[in-house]
Amino acid sequence: MKDPYPQIDRWVLPTAALLATLRSVQKEGQGIREAGALWLGSRGNTARVRAVVFPSGKGVEATAGKWKVSPEVFGVVTRWAKPQGLCLLAVVHTHLHGVPPRLSRADREYSVQVPGMLAAVIGEGGHERNHGNWGWYVYEKNDYRQILNQELNQRVEMSSENVDVQRANSEAIWEVGKE
Amino acid sequence: MNLQLNQQEKQPIPNAQPADAPDDQITVEYLPASQPFHHTYEGNVTLSTVRSDAMTFFQVSDHKDRDTHQFFLEFGGRRLTNMAETLDQLLGAHRRGAKFNLVEQITPGAATE
Repeated sequence: MKDPYPQIDRWVLPTAALLATLRSVQKEGQGIREAGALWLGSRGNTARVRAVVFPSGKGVEATAGKWKVSPEVFGVVTRWAKPQGLCLLAVVHTHLHGVPPRLSRADREYSVQVPGMLAAVIGEGGHERNHGNWGWYVYEKNDYRQILNQELNQRVEMSSENVDVQRANSEAIWEVGKE
Repeated sequence: MNLQLNQQEKQPIPNAQPADAPDDQITVEYLPASQPFHHTYEGNVTLSTVRSDAMTFFQVSDHKDRDTHQFFLEFGGRRLTNMAETLDQLLGAHRRGAKFNLVEQITPGAATE
């Protein structure tokens, strides 16, 4: 059988995914609670983000200090994503104003732990627009390792491709804009 | 895939033994993985075996840090809890394949920060 986690040398990240993520986490978080997004796409030596899913509502626990997505929401996203050949590439979430955009111990333990998984933390409650100021991490050798700016610039390529934008809870997934 | 299996059922396989238990072609998907787990099982295999094999393939394990991490199989949007159940019991004796999802459940431990 093939390796389910092929080595990722670089990620192609559409600007549209960044902008959609910022819009959604700002709206969801309202500056008082954490919010987040799942970036999905194709995985290989080059991983391409093709879809952004915003878990919110039923099945999501969002407070000032945590953002947790229930397995039922992941189940809904899996049933939608897999027939399209999409897999989870990154989990992105916010930290509120005054909290550094770094993965906390709880974030590390609570996040998806498979090789090559990206984790990004947006500071300022999702209002930090410069992604170079976000906290970036990749899961390697049983822990998340921070990606510093030089490596980020080398391995993350911004693109102008479109992305599919969805919202999901524990019962359904639907296209944003069709609420 | 189902169509092919149905066609095979209609045409006797020359060397097949009448008592042979038909196999179930099982697929397990895991959201972060780029490849699904595929395996063929006899119908008397339990869900526990399928779960264990899939977890090995996806390189994940039940574990405990401050929280308890457990993986479970989901079928048709339903969390499967009886791991002693066999594929035949779950799927019926005439169904020859199924697709499951593997999903992680994290149960929070005592909060320390």
